[in-house]
Amino acid sequence: MSFLLHLITVTCILLPTIVGYNLVFGKGKIFHFGQIGLQILAAYPLWISIVLFDQYPIMGLLLGLISAFVAAWLLAWLSFRLDPDGLGVMSIAVHLSALNVVLNWQSVTRGALGVPGIPRWSFLADNVSFAIFVIVAVSVWCVFVWLLDRSAFGRKLQALSEHDWYAEALGISRKNVHIVAFLVAAGGALLTGVLLPQYLYLLSPTDFAFPAMIFVVMCVVAGKPGSMGGAILATALLMMLKEGLRLLPLSPGVVGPVRLLLFGLILLGAVWYRRDALFPPQREI
Amino acid sequence: MEQLLINGLIAGSLAALIAGGLALVYGVLGIFNLALGQMVLLGGYAVWWLHQSVGLTLPVSIVGGLLMAGGLTWVTFEVFIAPFYKRHRFLPLVTTIALGMILDAAMLLFFEARPRSILSNGKNIMDIGGVRLSVEQVYLVVLTVLLLCVFAYVLHSTPFGRRIRAVVQHSHAAMSLGIRASVLHRVIFILSGVLAACGGIFIGIDQNLTPVLAFPITIKAYAAIIAGGKGNFWGAIVCAYLIALLEQLVIGIEWFGRFYIPAGYQQSVALLFIIVFLLCRPSGLFSFKNRTA
Repeated sequence: MSFLLHLITVTCILLPTIVGYNLVFGKGKIFHFGQIGLQILAAYPLWISIVLFDQYPIMGLLLGLISAFVAAWLLAWLSFRLDPDGLGVMSIAVHLSALNVVLNWQSVTRGALGVPGIPRWSFLADNVSFAIFVIVAVSVWCVFVWLLDRSAFGRKLQALSEHDWYAEALGISRKNVHIVAFLVAAGGALLTGVLLPQYLYLLSPTDFAFPAMIFVVMCVVAGKPGSMGGAILATALLMMLKEGLRLLPLSPGVVGPVRLLLFGLILLGAVWYRRDALFPPQREI
Repeated sequence: MEQLLINGLIAGSLAALIAGGLALVYGVLGIFNLALGQMVLLGGYAVWWLHQSVGLTLPVSIVGGLLMAGGLTWVTFEVFIAPFYKRHRFLPLVTTIALGMILDAAMLLFFEARPRSILSNGKNIMDIGGVRLSVEQVYLVVLTVLLLCVFAYVLHSTPFGRRIRAVVQHSHAAMSLGIRASVLHRVIFILSGVLAACGGIFIGIDQNLTPVLAFPITIKAYAAIIAGGKGNFWGAIVCAYLIALLEQLVIGIEWFGRFYIPAGYQQSVALLFIIVFLLCRPSGLFSFKNRTA
């Protein structure tokens, strides 16, 4: 029972960042691989200011919000300026640079040790009430993103992803739409950055390494890029597989590589199966 | 300072081997291979296995390792690249991430996470005017330069090299002149894998092989090809040496006579290169224009 609760909680915690990313990469076809970088830039200012510098939670939240939104705005700006592959490499570089700073600026971030003693609100002290809170908060977020996706904004994003020149000729502003998409992704990263360290009572840099980004990409690709329901289902199934592997009678030295192997094969299979959804061929009359 | 320059030369030679092959692949296919670091390490591990476990002599192990690397690269192309890149050239960026995960898992399962060195005996260290370097390092640097010179000769002075350059400049125009571009695509990709494996052997002889090295190697190679001008072979090689030298200087110099930058920031040099060049000069230092009629 406690494993099931853990599984539900961890899946729900990851959903905001994955659903937000699905809007940018899945629906918008914007080659952005810096979602976990946004999460670093949201979570570290937030929790360091609260735990290490004794600031009010609202102040920490504000710092995390500003930091994530500024980074998202910069990435959106870069998406107008760079080739898609250039943006992909640039966003990876931004993510790894942020991680490098976190790992090496030990006087502030405590480096690889992470920041322990992340507090939870008193009414969320036990795991059941925390899980209920997470489910409610994440449901609200998912409904918000779903409404956004179904609105004129979603149609504009899709039009831009199909053919940006034609879309712009019809009066759709690529800048505005991309900025909003990136800000939503940053909002998701912030929500995950608020919930995950609270659940673990620890802000650990290992949760923000590049494999975490690969997991996010895998969830979006496997669930059909652009499909919110697909992304949610894929996250649940992949998380079940990821956590379920711990239950197998394998030594700890083997579980990690087996998980990597399985996920690599799943990612390859998902890209092969979804290759037309990931980069659809141009529609013709 | 002399020691830092020599260290930069050694690290740059390694990076140049890897980045050169990658630049050719980008120039011809326009794809990014994010499993490059893993392919580098697998070349080194193959030689380690043949030399240390099977017991073959070092030269035979190196030839065997390069053949295995060539075979693996060919399989990689057929499974992870060819079915995808013609559909959309960005698809291999994701499929090579999957390949990287599979190769990482294979390395961890077969060779474990602990460091492996191809040479079991200690190195022969020399002291030349206060600069310490090993005989093996001298051999590696000289061999790298020789290999690059041979490559330069083949690329610029042989019919085969002309065909490669023609495909780099314009695949379709080259095909209309009777050049079999699809075969050359495979040859160039395999060549980049063999050069990457040479880099892995370099690491296995000079340092130790561990799976965690893969991603930093990939990032450094990408920094070199972005700074050198995407697809520009010589630009990538020059920038590989430049990045390696800067990495040594950044952490080796006492800045303003007051402090040293922690060694952990060494990887940031390559990342900063990527960020600064993509922001300020996306075409790179040595970009060339496509010829037009």
